[in-house]
Amino acid sequence: MKKFLKNIFIVILIIFFLIAFSSSYKSLSIDNLAIVVAMGIDISDNNAFKISFQFTTPSSVSESGTSEKAPSKIYSVDASSISSGINLMNSYVGKEINLSHCKLIAFSEEVAVKGISKEIYTLINDTQVRPSTNIVITKCSADYYLENSKPLFENLLTKYYEVFSNSSQFTGYSSNATIGNFFNSLICHSCQPYAILGGVTTADDENKSTSSSNESNQSTNAEKDSSAISNASPLSNISNSENIGLAVFNDDVLVGELNSIETLSFLIIKNNLDGFLISVPNPSKTNSYMDLYLTPVNSVQTKVEIVNGSPYITIDCNFTGRIYSMENDSEYLDPKLLEQISDSCNSYLKSVLTDYLYKTSKNLQADINGFGKLAHSHFATTSDFDNYKWNEKYKDAFFDVNVNSSIKSSFLLTES
Amino acid sequence: MKQLALFFGVFVAHTLVALPRNLVESTKSGTIINIIYVAIIAILISYLIYKLIKNFSGSDIIDISEYLGGKVFKTIIGIIFISYFSISSGILLRNFCECLKIVYYPMTSLVFIILAFIVTLYIVLKFNFSSISKVNLIIIPLVLISIVFLFVANLENFSISNMFPIFGDGLFDTFVTGLGNISAFGGIALLYFLPPYLQEPQKTKKVFLLSMLFGAIYLLLCVSIILFMLIFLMYTNEILPLYSAARYIEFGTFFQRLESIFLLIWILQVCCYLAIITKISISILKKVTNCKYEKPIILLFTLLIFAISFLPKNYAISKFIESSVNKYLSIGITIFLGLIILILANFKKRVKNKIERIS
Repeated sequence: MKKFLKNIFIVILIIFFLIAFSSSYKSLSIDNLAIVVAMGIDISDNNAFKISFQFTTPSSVSESGTSEKAPSKIYSVDASSISSGINLMNSYVGKEINLSHCKLIAFSEEVAVKGISKEIYTLINDTQVRPSTNIVITKCSADYYLENSKPLFENLLTKYYEVFSNSSQFTGYSSNATIGNFFNSLICHSCQPYAILGGVTTADDENKSTSSSNESNQSTNAEKDSSAISNASPLSNISNSENIGLAVFNDDVLVGELNSIETLSFLIIKNNLDGFLISVPNPSKTNSYMDLYLTPVNSVQTKVEIVNGSPYITIDCNFTGRIYSMENDSEYLDPKLLEQISDSCNSYLKSVLTDYLYKTSKNLQADINGFGKLAHSHFATTSDFDNYKWNEKYKDAFFDVNVNSSIKSSFLLTES
Repeated sequence: MKQLALFFGVFVAHTLVALPRNLVESTKSGTIINIIYVAIIAILISYLIYKLIKNFSGSDIIDISEYLGGKVFKTIIGIIFISYFSISSGILLRNFCECLKIVYYPMTSLVFIILAFIVTLYIVLKFNFSSISKVNLIIIPLVLISIVFLFVANLENFSISNMFPIFGDGLFDTFVTGLGNISAFGGIALLYFLPPYLQEPQKTKKVFLLSMLFGAIYLLLCVSIILFMLIFLMYTNEILPLYSAARYIEFGTFFQRLESIFLLIWILQVCCYLAIITKISISILKKVTNCKYEKPIILLFTLLIFAISFLPKNYAISKFIESSVNKYLSIGITIFLGLIILILANFKKRVKNKIERIS
């Protein structure tokens, strides 16, 4: 009898817990959720924000096994805040908006210049938002950017949003910028946040770039490559979103943007590059450029000192490289020529890096590389560092950049 | 090994909720130095406890307090320790469940989440202490592996320069005010109750010192994850800081969202912690009341923990109790009260021995 009562009690207990926990299970059930893959935040004429949600439906697989691209749908709502926007959208779609698979959050430039700290704090406070979600500042409207975000070689939009920032590892033209790191930098007293700069190339932009390129010579073309930026990139025949460059913030306010070569400089100093292609002045031909593929030999050595109350930052970079572009009468086995190319590369990279550093310091006044963290060791206490106000003093910083590159040879062809 | 694991079972549970963040909040970038400093003190204290307790071989602090002040004193000390264990475990349970509710069970009432732990605790307590310590011995390595994995997997997100300025808010804050961080070694309380459970009493010294040493290394690992990685935790408060760090772990696009595994292991560890603490509390009550059977007491203790976990009106109060009240309780009861009892008992024994020798 005692055993029977015990079993009855156990069964009651199990039923009790099943009922108690079923509400949480039900709320997280896939049938009740509308999975958002990306979110866009724009300024609205009617309310504070226009919030766009991009949903995707599972890819349909035909009988032959070939899968079609998963279509995406974008719905927008005008709301006073992100949370009320989500609430309004919940009632519209008849399901609960779930952000746990949201891979990208895009803010339009208009929103970002007004400051986005409230929105970032709200998103970080949401248990569903992953810290690895990419954060993009769009030069066009965020919903237009999402509309034009179509994967070229992927079937799944989510996969595309997950991998698109990986190209930064070998191009250096964009950087992986997540909301987790953005929040960390927003709170940090010794660094400033940054985000991916996004845009959409329109037909007008394409025509503009074509006509202007016809007029220019080779040297200016090489400079154009390195000054490519989202919304004004030289991509043609594609009407798609692009992510070239970085959006720079001072605190939570967008203060400027970096083009491709500046982003490359940012990644070099951040030790976040496997290798990159760069056009440097050809020492044997005036007004001519040659392409080099450089790989960092070791991590960039950065030293920060406080001289007369101002930050003095020394950067030492070492690269090894090979010549990528080939032409007639090339003699890339000549040690003297290789040395000249190395020198040309050194002076070019030095000027590029110095320009980038002074741009972040004097123009943007934003330490996105986080040099301030390296200055911590010069202060006795945390409050001494806080009182120094690194983010305000960064504009007085001066830099000493040393580049040491060693060009080995070309790739398959050594002489022609 | 079982005794070492028992110590860790108690020590580790607090680090899973808010302990590393509380340490970083109080000593900022000086936390690494501060932990090394308080760890040295904790090792010295544990050595002192060993030296003092070895004269009463096989006795715990309750037996020693009976020797020192008789039955009334034993009862008072017993009640103090039971209250301390019950409050700290009840509050830890409440805070852990609050976090679980936010993360995984948004629609489930907190009562049911806590009740799930309480029912588990009731079932576990039916088994003897040896079984509980054996299960704990299985869970503890998993927890340690999870923390080491958390550290290694997040290495790419680390910024070592966050440990500077090395003395945080200054020497006074790191070494004087920061002395309060010794409460992180609240697991010392368990050392007072370990001797009766030691199968090889000659290894007491080894168990005591190794517990503290491994505890210090473990704590250093936890604090490093928070300090090197999540600098925002110095200025903002986030629930389950180690869980927040686990959310950053990703291996390509395939292995993601590993935090669920971490949380599963940590839930098991919290169950083990509750079982160890309650079992010790039951053994104290048995000694104090000379009660022979413990089965009727089990329900009493599970209900006590359940009730204590609901005493705070909201998470803010329970967080305050955990980070402030429990900190001072831990220092006061574990370090001062325990040591004073041991010192006085040793003094009494020495005087008694002297009198015996003279007579």
